[in-house]
Amino acid sequence: MNEDDIARLVREVLADITARNAVPADAASPGEGDEAPDVTAVTTRDEFHVPHPANREGYLAMKQSTVARLGVWRAGPRYNTYSMLHFRADHATAQDAVFTDVDPGWVTGQGFIAGQSLCHSKDEFLTRPDLGRKLNDETRDLFRRELTRSTVTIMVGDGLSSSAMVNVPEILPAVKQGLQGFGIEAGPVAYVKYCRVGAMDDVGQLIGSDVVLLLIGERPGLATGESMSAYMAYQPRPDRPESWRTVVSNIYRGGTPPAEAGAHIATLLKRMLDEKISGVDLKL
Amino acid sequence: MKDVLTSVGIDIGTTTSQVVFSHITIEDLSSGFTVPRVEIVDKEIVYRGDICFTPLTSPTTIDAVALRDLVTRAYDQAGVAPGEVKTGAVVITGETARKENAAEVLAHLSDLAGDFVVATAGPTLESVIAGRGAGADAASKRLGSTVANYDIGGGTSNFALFDRGAPASAGCLDIGGRLVRIDRARGAITYVAPKIARLCNDAGIRCAVGDVADLARLRRVARAMCDLLEMSLGLAPKSAFYPTILTEPGHDVMLPKPIGHLMFSGGVADCVRDASREPFAYGDLGVLLGAAIRDSAGLSRIPRLDAAETIRATVVGAGTHITELSGSTIEYDASLLPIKNVPILKLSRDEEADPAAMGTSIRDRLGWFAADGPAAPVAIAFAGPASPTFARVQELARVIVEAMAPRVAEGAPVIVVTESDLAKVLGQSLRAHLGARHGFICIDGIAVEGGDYVDIGAPAAAGVVLPVVVKTLAFR
Repeated sequence: MNEDDIARLVREVLADITARNAVPADAASPGEGDEAPDVTAVTTRDEFHVPHPANREGYLAMKQSTVARLGVWRAGPRYNTYSMLHFRADHATAQDAVFTDVDPGWVTGQGFIAGQSLCHSKDEFLTRPDLGRKLNDETRDLFRRELTRSTVTIMVGDGLSSSAMVNVPEILPAVKQGLQGFGIEAGPVAYVKYCRVGAMDDVGQLIGSDVVLLLIGERPGLATGESMSAYMAYQPRPDRPESWRTVVSNIYRGGTPPAEAGAHIATLLKRMLDEKISGVDLKL
Repeated sequence: MKDVLTSVGIDIGTTTSQVVFSHITIEDLSSGFTVPRVEIVDKEIVYRGDICFTPLTSPTTIDAVALRDLVTRAYDQAGVAPGEVKTGAVVITGETARKENAAEVLAHLSDLAGDFVVATAGPTLESVIAGRGAGADAASKRLGSTVANYDIGGGTSNFALFDRGAPASAGCLDIGGRLVRIDRARGAITYVAPKIARLCNDAGIRCAVGDVADLARLRRVARAMCDLLEMSLGLAPKSAFYPTILTEPGHDVMLPKPIGHLMFSGGVADCVRDASREPFAYGDLGVLLGAAIRDSAGLSRIPRLDAAETIRATVVGAGTHITELSGSTIEYDASLLPIKNVPILKLSRDEEADPAAMGTSIRDRLGWFAADGPAAPVAIAFAGPASPTFARVQELARVIVEAMAPRVAEGAPVIVVTESDLAKVLGQSLRAHLGARHGFICIDGIAVEGGDYVDIGAPAAAGVVLPVVVKTLAFR
């Protein structure tokens, strides 16, 4: 049997199957142009599939306190199709958050001073964390020129979630307003593409500001792809230990509200400036 | 970060008065990698005072001086200095007539009660406090359903319904063990409360001061009182007399949901459980009323739970369960704290969603509080949007400050209470609009209704949270 024979055989079998499974046109089935229902339209908190719950209201109230997939039910030992699809959709959201790039137009639109780490591509960024912690030479020159030494330097980085950038326009004005309330002005905001947390140490050393705040996309999980972390340090330097950093994580509309987090971050920055300390030594 | 608040509960009831001290432990439960989340992690009663008869100078007047001595002794025995007490409540409960000199009684206790102790009265709040002390809220949360508590004391029966931990309804009936008193030595009736006299008259039961304390006849009185309790729970059709027994006219017991379980607290609850007591052991109708409830076929149709506290439910509720904590990201001027009896101006969801309506509502309703003077504190309360944009927060701050402008000019502090987590950014926005000098308090995580009052305590847990007591006066 040569390749043509095999191809012919496959065509015949497929045609046969299609003919046998053909359904009348008026039968309810998704036709062309129809879209499958969006499984992510219902959040895991509101989704409930236990067939005969003793106390539905109580279960749903409990589910409001967690994003864990409770009450999804099963088919034998397996997930139901719906749960499986939802799980896969959430996983896809996480993958998208990691693999898409932040729109350069958005970065300039925000008025950020845009630079890049030593990474040249997403693949390199994901496989070489060490390169994501260093600014490339062009960026070093740019930041040295454009970012003047100030009390607080604010940075934004894509990190592992481009989707998390949606929080930035809510966090930033709250941080700035909070700082203004303390009589502190922040300079222009720096943006770093392919950014790891350690890049803030490089900026700290380069600019010499008293505190550096980095808003960076968190590695997404299955709950959300939009979560953002705020890393802060008093006079960060590449040789400082990890414990020198203070972090506020889980900032997104389903976690700590972005605007509220911004106000809290401003208070933390003020305390770092007052106590000249950050990380685990800063007793909260 | 751990902090322990000493809390006092003082219950001045129709029959007995009690004092308890509690330690409320609060702790930051956040991982350290997120915003702080300070919560109450433990409530421990560290001192239970003796159950003393409420000192009286006349059947309707509390002996304020003797009561002060009683409370002072409790502080001494517990080894607690008044200054240590950070929260709690003094509650004057029971028969309304007794409350005639409530203000004088509270004045005598004010220096003892520490910096931040709520002095309160009001049947609705009493009902909720007793229900919490009895553990009805905790049970309803545990069972994920509704649990009702009837706290039956000397002068009143306080009803509270909890739905998954939250109060859902409250009411009060003038039914209690001490509304008929008996001189055991003479075997004669010495007191019949006016409403009970009418009840007996309507039912054709002879029961008057000076009458012989006839057991069979008094059983019928207790039975008639128990019937009214059944009517209040919809277990029997309401009689023509029924509206008369309501402590607050027109304020009936409401059942927005069916009662899953029922519990009894108060002194009479002990007589429900224990059938072995002498009928006139306390010189009143308490034992017989307890027996009537025990034998009631109607009441036993609702599944019963044992209350965690019986005669001490109100005092434990006041001393241990009345304090809530604000959210952990908030903004305030510590110099304004503690602040007590702040009336709530509550905005509806619709009002808060529309800036123009919100401003108008605040301006209009501030007029309701005009009698207290232009600088008296009023708290603006609303549920608040979940995870609002920064622009939305700015708008809320602007509307509040503009609407409050005349009061701000008079020096009134701006106080804002929300449910949604937004108080820190809203507070900083208020500061931006008000200027750095003007005092304000902006807290979240607190649910209040119009007609409520709040007391906000001195900062706890290194200033991260404020203890808050919501004084509910009405259910709508």
